[in-house]
Amino acid sequence: MATVTIDGQTFEFEGRPRLLQFCLENGIEVPHFCYHPAMSAPANCRQCLVEVGTPEMDRETRKPRLDDDGNPIIRYFPKLQTSCTMEITDGMVVKSHRSSETVERAQKDTLEMLLINHPLDCPICDQAGHCPLQIQAYKYGPEGSRFEFEKVNKPKQIPLGPEVMLDGERCINCTRCVRFTNEISKSHQLTIIERGVRNYPMTPPGITFDDPYSMNVIDICPVGALTSRDSRFKARIWEMSKTPSITTGGANGNNCYYWVKDNQIMKVTPRDNPEVNEYWLPDAERLDYKRFNEDRLQGPAVGGVASSWEAAYDAAASLMKEAGKGRVAFLGSAYATVEDNYLLTRLADALGSSTPTFIPHVENGRGDDWLMTDDRTPNRDGCERLGMSPETGALATRIENGEVDVLYVLEDDPVAAGILTAEQLAGVKVILHAYNTTNETLPAATVSLPAATVVETVGTFVNQKGHAQRVRPAKSIKGMNRTLMMEVGKSRADLHGTPFDRWHNESNLVDCQPGWVSLPAVAKRLGQGMDYRGPKYIMREIAESVSAFSGATYDAMGDQGVRLEDVGAAV
Amino acid sequence: MEPKTGKAGDWRNYERVLLPKVKDLHLLEVYEANGGYKALREILTNDKWDPTAVTNEVKKSGLKGRGGAGFPTGLKWSFMPPINPDIPRYLCCNGDESEPGTFKDRQLLEYNPHAVFEGMLIASYAMSLAGSYLYIRGEYADWITHMEGELKKAYAKGYIGKDIMGSGFSTELYIHKGAGAYICGEESSLMNSLEGKRAYPRVKPPFPAQKGIWGYPTTINNVETLAAVPEIINRGGEWFAGIGAPTHAGPVLYGISGHVNRPGVYEYPTGMLISDLIYEVAGGIRGGKKLKALVPGGSSTPVLRADMIDGVTMDADSLREAGSMMGTSGMLVMDEDTDMVSFLRRITHFYHHESCGQCTPCREGTGWLENIVTRIDEGEGNLRDLDLLIDLCSEMEGRTVCALADAAAWPVRYTIDRFRDEFEAKCKASLVPSGVELTEATA
Ligand SMILES: Cc1cc2nc3c(=O)[nH]c(=O)nc-3n(C[C@H](O)[C@H](O)[C@H](O)COP(=O)(O)O)c2cc1C
Ligand code: SF4
Ligand code: SF4
Ligand code: FES
Repeated sequence: MATVTIDGQTFEFEGRPRLLQFCLENGIEVPHFCYHPAMSAPANCRQCLVEVGTPEMDRETRKPRLDDDGNPIIRYFPKLQTSCTMEITDGMVVKSHRSSETVERAQKDTLEMLLINHPLDCPICDQAGHCPLQIQAYKYGPEGSRFEFEKVNKPKQIPLGPEVMLDGERCINCTRCVRFTNEISKSHQLTIIERGVRNYPMTPPGITFDDPYSMNVIDICPVGALTSRDSRFKARIWEMSKTPSITTGGANGNNCYYWVKDNQIMKVTPRDNPEVNEYWLPDAERLDYKRFNEDRLQGPAVGGVASSWEAAYDAAASLMKEAGKGRVAFLGSAYATVEDNYLLTRLADALGSSTPTFIPHVENGRGDDWLMTDDRTPNRDGCERLGMSPETGALATRIENGEVDVLYVLEDDPVAAGILTAEQLAGVKVILHAYNTTNETLPAATVSLPAATVVETVGTFVNQKGHAQRVRPAKSIKGMNRTLMMEVGKSRADLHGTPFDRWHNESNLVDCQPGWVSLPAVAKRLGQGMDYRGPKYIMREIAESVSAFSGATYDAMGDQGVRLEDVGAAV
Repeated sequence: MEPKTGKAGDWRNYERVLLPKVKDLHLLEVYEANGGYKALREILTNDKWDPTAVTNEVKKSGLKGRGGAGFPTGLKWSFMPPINPDIPRYLCCNGDESEPGTFKDRQLLEYNPHAVFEGMLIASYAMSLAGSYLYIRGEYADWITHMEGELKKAYAKGYIGKDIMGSGFSTELYIHKGAGAYICGEESSLMNSLEGKRAYPRVKPPFPAQKGIWGYPTTINNVETLAAVPEIINRGGEWFAGIGAPTHAGPVLYGISGHVNRPGVYEYPTGMLISDLIYEVAGGIRGGKKLKALVPGGSSTPVLRADMIDGVTMDADSLREAGSMMGTSGMLVMDEDTDMVSFLRRITHFYHHESCGQCTPCREGTGWLENIVTRIDEGEGNLRDLDLLIDLCSEMEGRTVCALADAAAWPVRYTIDRFRDEFEAKCKASLVPSGVELTEATA
């Protein structure tokens, strides 16, 4: 097999990989700025330079020439080469900064150059702390600067569009943002203007950077030149914990990180997943987090009066006990996890009710054949795999016909969705798990059980392509339990649990419970044992008992989720 | 001592071919009346000229590119990949001419545009091209307008377009007005500019012959290079190879500017003695002054001190030995009164202004160089600035996408190297204690 030697270590390779990408995939650090694996390589930052040599070939035999010791004679390129554009060939020898002083020097030089006109306003820059320029300057840069002139001034605090703010002086001209709009989102809304050291990115005249994916340039910008108008200046990066999860505003299950400070979501950024969303996230899904912080329903209520959780569970159970057999209707939710919906179907089954239905939430034209979908729910596929079907109006008819005493609603809002009216609900007792005070079904609720949202629970969602992915709690709620404690996103390990741990404090705790806590509590009171040690075990049972979920364990899902058909689930 | 003769032979009786003494040669009628488009007709109608034969004739001529790098033209043409009828191929004629000290292509575009067209058409035939572009710097607006008129006439006469002269060969020729930046003359940047993109040079490889304009195989040649081609066909490669310096043959346009009595563009054989060009061709130094320095081939080529040009001729070999380059043969002549610091300040300003800004070392380095040289020129510099300048040159050279960073660094490196005393003299006097001789330690 073909081999390449990097800093004395030999690797095998196939095809014609690019050197920098190959190094990244093999865990070899090569400093760089402009290269991004999803886009073309302009080789403009010049930070990834390495020494490259290839074996000297004998023209006749077409074999490498050997020296006296029998080793191939290596001929080095006279100039340093950019590893981002260099194709690896058999027998190539590469020296990075780890084994070449020339390379080490070149990297130091490039950083010296990058910093001479950089404002060095790290103390007020949102990128500080996770800034490739800052990190590399500390690691490989020179001590101090030999530059003794006025820095170049460029436009600052320029809104490029509704979401993205430009600081031209911080820009290092890597062109990643421009390439993103040219090659990935194809909106072509950014270009570099001016020339030379005055260069910075800008929209063409008369154009606003309103690309629905505009905020991705914030993440790929290797400096703080592009910041989020929504979240800038709100939290330093080291004050936040970062939890891998998925967004729930659509059916694609885009992978993300939730960033939390003081138990509030501060921002949402993409998490790489080649199967689902690659490196990207639509703006709409990044900005769809205020509902986790604001208007949260606090604490249970019975008959509109605040109560304890125990009292609310009692009330819910007795409502169902009093109802006639089959006269409790269950409404599941494509917003809720597979686990919670499964528990609901079990409860419905145990009470002799028909299988829960769920409300479809579809907004035609919202989808874009990329990461946005017409379907606004994250778990329709999961509901259908559990045998639930979309609500078509049958529920309203049953209520109209007086066949329903109690309506049990899991994490949805039938009134706002137009499935049921307040008048129709006037005659039935409603048990409602809701997230927000804005839930329009809430006034009709006899028992209200505030529900944990995706950022506060553990569970599984199945995207529109049958990709099952699990979520973890990004923040705490009042009444944490052991499972939540084990799973919750941690901030810096060395601070975890100390008074300096920004995550671990008591502010902004919402008094709510995940479905997998509240549903078994209600079920137990009805004599239905649902004893699980946590969602993981619920999912294990689902994988064993529901063929559409065969093999769908948490282990199989890992960080990147799993295509259900790949683990043997029925399609 | 042997008299220095150079390699240009009897240059005083040299008969011009690129810019012949013909009135109104810029008009098609006049060009035709003086043997114009004869070479094109010859290769298209005489069976002995298949495309390879044309390329071979150019190879035989020893013609080297006149755009700065001096690459053998015939060899460049033969780098085009084998013909594939589904893949169009192109030629770009580089008329962006923007390097300080270089103004010779303009002369051809003004006085002999049809030679450029004809050269492009012959090249198109030799490389079987679907079309060619003549990229002219936008500031040459008047000549562009005139050339567009002449191009129309050439089309009407059937020299360009479908089935030229009934030969079955078809090719198009377009004139493109440049976007007003020095960097547009760098070949890959030129292609981006032509495509309507920002004129950022491209990463090589892929080279233009593999992936050029619109992603198709492309050759780029300078205006003067292509203008020489018709006469190579008319008179033969051997005739061309016999002119001037054997290793850098042919007629060449010398653009002489600076402190001479008769600045201008002069056509002579290559291999002329620099002294002949200055003292005889250009009429000597203005005001009878002494020569101090010479930049032989456009602002990026290393400056030579007067004492370094003795016996040096204008061809790649001789200039390399002397410590410089042929470049575009745009010669900047400086007399004894020239302030070399101020000269360098102007040069660094140019490269600072013209860096496209793509690569870190060039974008940042060009400005830093100008900053420091300016400070020295204004008497505010320190001696250690000189070492810093040399250091910065090393940080820029050979580390960028295109050669502009090298072009910006060389003048700094060599001007300081060759005129260091002048730079030291301009540095802040206070830093040099009087009576102390400058050594490396005190500097
Ligand atoms: C910064 C820069 C500017 C250049 N400008 C010109 C130019 O104005 N005209 C030109 O013919 N070549 C220019 N060149 C050289 C071209 O890249 C290319 O080598 C040349 O056009 C090839 O033609 P030739 O082989 O006929 O010399 C420039 C190169 C660089 C690096
Ligand atoms: S704004 Fe950021 S991403 Fe865009 S070119 Fe500048 S440094 Fe690169
Ligand atoms: S070397 Fe300078 S001019 Fe050339 S591509 Fe890089 S930044 Fe642009
Ligand atoms: S990563 Fe920027 S030049 Fe290679």
